[in-house]
Amino acid sequence: MASSESFNILIAGVGGQGVLTLSRIIGEASLASGLNVLVAETHGLSQRGGAVVVHVRIGDVDSPLVPLGEADLMIGLELLEVIRNIGYMRRGGFIVADRLIIPPSILDVKTPSLDNVIEALRGLDVRLTVIPASEVAEKLGDVRVANVYLLGQAISITKLGSIIGFDGVVKVLRGLPNPELNLKAFKLGYMGGGFEC
Amino acid sequence: MLGNVAVARACLEYGVGLASGYPGTPSSEVVEALAYAASKLGYPYVEWSVNEKVAFEVAYGAAISGVPSVVSMKHVGLNVAADPFFSSAYTGVEASLLVISADDPGMWSSQNEQDNRWYGVHAYIPVVEPAGAQEAREAALEALRLSGEVRHPVLLRLVTRVSHTRAPVTVGALGRPRLRGVFKSNPSRWNLIPAHARRLREELLERWRRIEDLVSRSELNVAEGPRDSQVVVIGVGVGYRYAREALRRLKAQVRLVKVTTPVPLPSKFILGEVEGRDSVLVVEEGDPVFETMIKTLLQEVGLNTRVYGKRSGHLRATGELRLEDVEGAIAQVLGLGYRRPELLEATVKPPPRPPVLCPGCPYRSVFYAVRRAVKRLGLDVVYSGDIGCYSLAVNKPFNAQDTLIEMGGSVGLANGMSHVLGGRVVIATIGDSTFYHAGIPGLINAVYNKAPMMVLVLDNGVTAMTGHQPHPGSGFNAMGGEARRIPVEDVARGVGVDSVYVAEAFNPRDVEAKALSALRDVGEGKISVVIARGPCILMAMSRARAESISRPSYVVDSSRCRGCMVCYKAFNCPAITPSGDGKITINKALCTGCGVCERICPFNAIKPASYIDERWWNLLGLTTSSVGGG
Repeated sequence: MASSESFNILIAGVGGQGVLTLSRIIGEASLASGLNVLVAETHGLSQRGGAVVVHVRIGDVDSPLVPLGEADLMIGLELLEVIRNIGYMRRGGFIVADRLIIPPSILDVKTPSLDNVIEALRGLDVRLTVIPASEVAEKLGDVRVANVYLLGQAISITKLGSIIGFDGVVKVLRGLPNPELNLKAFKLGYMGGGFEC
Repeated sequence: MLGNVAVARACLEYGVGLASGYPGTPSSEVVEALAYAASKLGYPYVEWSVNEKVAFEVAYGAAISGVPSVVSMKHVGLNVAADPFFSSAYTGVEASLLVISADDPGMWSSQNEQDNRWYGVHAYIPVVEPAGAQEAREAALEALRLSGEVRHPVLLRLVTRVSHTRAPVTVGALGRPRLRGVFKSNPSRWNLIPAHARRLREELLERWRRIEDLVSRSELNVAEGPRDSQVVVIGVGVGYRYAREALRRLKAQVRLVKVTTPVPLPSKFILGEVEGRDSVLVVEEGDPVFETMIKTLLQEVGLNTRVYGKRSGHLRATGELRLEDVEGAIAQVLGLGYRRPELLEATVKPPPRPPVLCPGCPYRSVFYAVRRAVKRLGLDVVYSGDIGCYSLAVNKPFNAQDTLIEMGGSVGLANGMSHVLGGRVVIATIGDSTFYHAGIPGLINAVYNKAPMMVLVLDNGVTAMTGHQPHPGSGFNAMGGEARRIPVEDVARGVGVDSVYVAEAFNPRDVEAKALSALRDVGEGKISVVIARGPCILMAMSRARAESISRPSYVVDSSRCRGCMVCYKAFNCPAITPSGDGKITINKALCTGCGVCERICPFNAIKPASYIDERWWNLLGLTTSSVGGG
């Protein structure tokens, strides 16, 4: 990417889904590509099953937070959290999200249906890809690799692919615990497949 | 590298000999990283102290004995440590004393938004405030050097977006630590009796002027951009980062001043940058501390440069800085047009998703059981709450945190309530770490001044919310070494509580029975303490993994389930959801195998799906007799 460019990513999900891990993978891969990167994490109280959002900014950036209306890409590990953070999206930006709704664990709240949420997202000026990431991940043996499955898809269809590169991510994944499973999920995500496995 | 880790790195590079702290978001990783380093290197000495006041004194004691030391805490922790903090400015130190305070603007994990730079102003302790992770390393090093040079404590003010932002950081070589010190007796310096303190105050003001001169020449304060612009933007700490990017986006040719040492005001440096300009915009995280100080300075020297910032309403006085807000403020001062993008809005609104007690959290079982005991006795109780994971019981269905103020406040407030509520029972709920931190004096007070109450100590063996740091009840210390365990029940009995019960947290029947007895004791005018003990489920699960102990998962026998919804509505485990046919289902991915739902199901409809390893129950602190349905 040119020295004056930047790429803003928002990763949204629920505490425990691997939001932080995913942000670190992207951060490491950016560093390995010699790019400046800022990863603003959420810790503490916000992690106990609550909403989690991490801001990742790559390139010519100083501020740790993505400005509202300027995310180029949102990786959504859960769809209600995608909706919650929709104000961060740039018009025409990419959303790559799991086809998943986790109802909040509190009593007396009404959770919108999967169809309603997807329909609402489709009505917006964004490029939306909703794929059954956790379903595939579960079939692969660990629901927690849904995050790298989504990353694979994001790498394949957005500019992130040319920024941090497929191989760059592969190198980072090799350093994780359980690299085989992570690599498998990432590659399946990249191809956008695996529903049949 | 995380900003907090960059600070820890700087401490090692400088050669710090001692580090102490009390965990609190967003500060915890500083001491965690140092403790990790100590476990590998064999130095420095690192501890999690019982609270911030003691942590401060630990580092202070080492620093007056000639060992460079650091103490780390979250912003509100400095309130607890304020007493020695103020005194340390009077005595000064013999070797560096770096006080690290991580503020939490936006209150991501805190009860308030206090700006601890005021403490620097108030106590005559200089404040260094880095803009990002790389700067955090440099600022910490510079603060340690300054502290050593002037022999005066220095406060390093971090904020969430510096502490918890990962960024590339270039580091230097590790320094040689100074681990052994010498205490030189000098009563006229170390004894703050009024006669000495009066003289020391004169010396302090003298030293303050010297520090002001030093920070005015600090290389950490720099300026960039045209020297002749009529507007100057001053970015303090992380404010500089927002201002820099905002100016770039606006393509504005404006002088930008980066301030890393806001307190005391680096007057000469600032005057050099501000004199002759029309106006100044101050971008700072937190309160308008710097903005206020500049205004005072300008008044003193008779300049009428306009100063804008939070007091003028150009920036919001609440919450974190945001790039778009800073951009708007700069555009406003420059008279540029600035339009925010129209934000996308979805027609569907997401329901709130507050953090909740984890599936398998022992505290869920405890709150379920205590509420049953309260109901059985027909009591109308007040739950005086506290700070920790159990704070999450503020939500339905538990509603078991009527107050939630500060560390240790549960027991303290319960004292006052007990005296004035005319016999209405007060239950103070407090976690183990918080009990050691600041709960004990309140308990002693209750015994001494006869304030009947039930104190419910939720004991999961660690400081869980902030990342499982050890405390005096854990049996191990920050560096992973074995430590003497100080059980809560010994403390309670030791301070004169006659009615002490220890219950198995994962066994609701046990908790309920003991809570019943304890509540009856309170009715007789006693102070009772119930310790509900069971490990944090996250710790138990990782131990089970490490020791190859298999965990059970639970299933619902739908022929037995009558849809009473006790497990869903009263117990409210996130792994349990209504199945649509009026019954319930258990989410296998979320179920931790704690087995409490089996124990509370009135119809024996919940059963383990597999053979259960006896060692799993031992891990959860359950005796065999307590396991089983019913």
